[in-house]
Amino acid sequence: MSNDENRKRFEALVMPQLNAAYNLARWLTRNDHDAEDVVHESLIRALRYIGSLRGDGARPWLLQIVRHTCYSWLKENRPAENVALDPTDGAAHDLAGPAADEPPSLAMRKAEREQINEAIAALPVAYREVLVLRELEDLSYSEIARIANIPVGTVMSRLARARGLMREALMPSVRSMLRTVARTALGGGKQ
Amino acid sequence: MNTQNETQLINAFVDDELDLTSRLDIEERMRLDAALAQKVEGLRQLREAIREGADYHAAPAALRERMARSIGPERTTPGHAPVAVAAVVRRWLGWRPLVASFGLMAALAVTLDLAWLRSVQEERLLDDVVASHVRSTLGQHLVDVASSDHHTVKPWLSSKLDFSPPVGELQLPGSVFLGGRVDYLDGHPAAALVYRQGAHVVNSFVWPTSAKDSKPEFSQERGFRTAHWSSNGMTHWVISDVNPDEFNAIVGAIRSSDGGS
Repeated sequence: MSNDENRKRFEALVMPQLNAAYNLARWLTRNDHDAEDVVHESLIRALRYIGSLRGDGARPWLLQIVRHTCYSWLKENRPAENVALDPTDGAAHDLAGPAADEPPSLAMRKAEREQINEAIAALPVAYREVLVLRELEDLSYSEIARIANIPVGTVMSRLARARGLMREALMPSVRSMLRTVARTALGGGKQ
Repeated sequence: MNTQNETQLINAFVDDELDLTSRLDIEERMRLDAALAQKVEGLRQLREAIREGADYHAAPAALRERMARSIGPERTTPGHAPVAVAAVVRRWLGWRPLVASFGLMAALAVTLDLAWLRSVQEERLLDDVVASHVRSTLGQHLVDVASSDHHTVKPWLSSKLDFSPPVGELQLPGSVFLGGRVDYLDGHPAAALVYRQGAHVVNSFVWPTSAKDSKPEFSQERGFRTAHWSSNGMTHWVISDVNPDEFNAIVGAIRSSDGGS
């Protein structure tokens, strides 16, 4: 029965991508419970459309569905968020890093992690998604373009803008961390 | 505009997304232009900081379980036996031409086997319905759309499904409409309407069918009462752990809200 076959393909190709699906949904909805629901719905859709999955690109294919489902969900539940899509928008981030003095300790590292997470969460969703797909899923520009349904040129401009916003948000207090990272990761850039 | 392009170019360089010529070009320029080299280094550091600092949200175990249960019902062991039985029945049906000369006898046998086949399928469906009900009451996921307003829930469900389930008001004292959710039963998406009757949760599943209208059939499974019937092109399965009288009243109320009786 082709139903069984679909199920088998689904389990072999799609289920291994569950973490990637959840990570994207979690970053887009910024909420555990909503992310679970979005992923659940996405996977049910994925099973229905599994016939359109060809070859080995299961992750971009699934993320495309997750992203689409997230956006419908956001439109329905948080209509205010889609407004911030305009690339000229710059007013959305008043997340000024606390300019406190910097105790050089593990607690600081933790605070920095928190700050990075907060800064990503504060990005307008269009920038957030390209950044998450690039830095956390390590996807290529063309894969991101396919998932977000935008030209590669737009991926480039949004990613550049996303990083610009991140830098602005992190500027005051992350310098120390950047220095540590630079020391440990110098020359260790990705090939 | 130019600086914007430049920024994108550097980003693509750091991401290793440039063709070889442009890449060599930038490397060359970085040797000569300290400010550019510094920008690239700054971007690399930012990138490392994000990759190192940002949370990666792995799927929680509860979601995995929920998925495994709602998507792979046929993989579970109880499912296997009925499938095997169904295959045997189907194979047996393939032999029908041999016994065609027995006329009436063959017809009778086929009818019996079809009935048997149907009951096997129904049993599997019953398992699914119970599993879905238990899941909904155990987890945090009772409803996707929480609203006591039928005019909110119906369009919501219609937008998620390729059919529009009947969502009527129950004329039943003590019954509260909690909302709806999308579930997956018997190989297709189903609408689940959720009610609370006293302290008990009632799940009412609906999906399209080509079957003719039928009267409710009641059964019990692991302490839950279920009823299922078809009306107006929809299959209904209702399940709850309320007492028999209340359950009958609920089924009656759901049927009359649907216009069937």
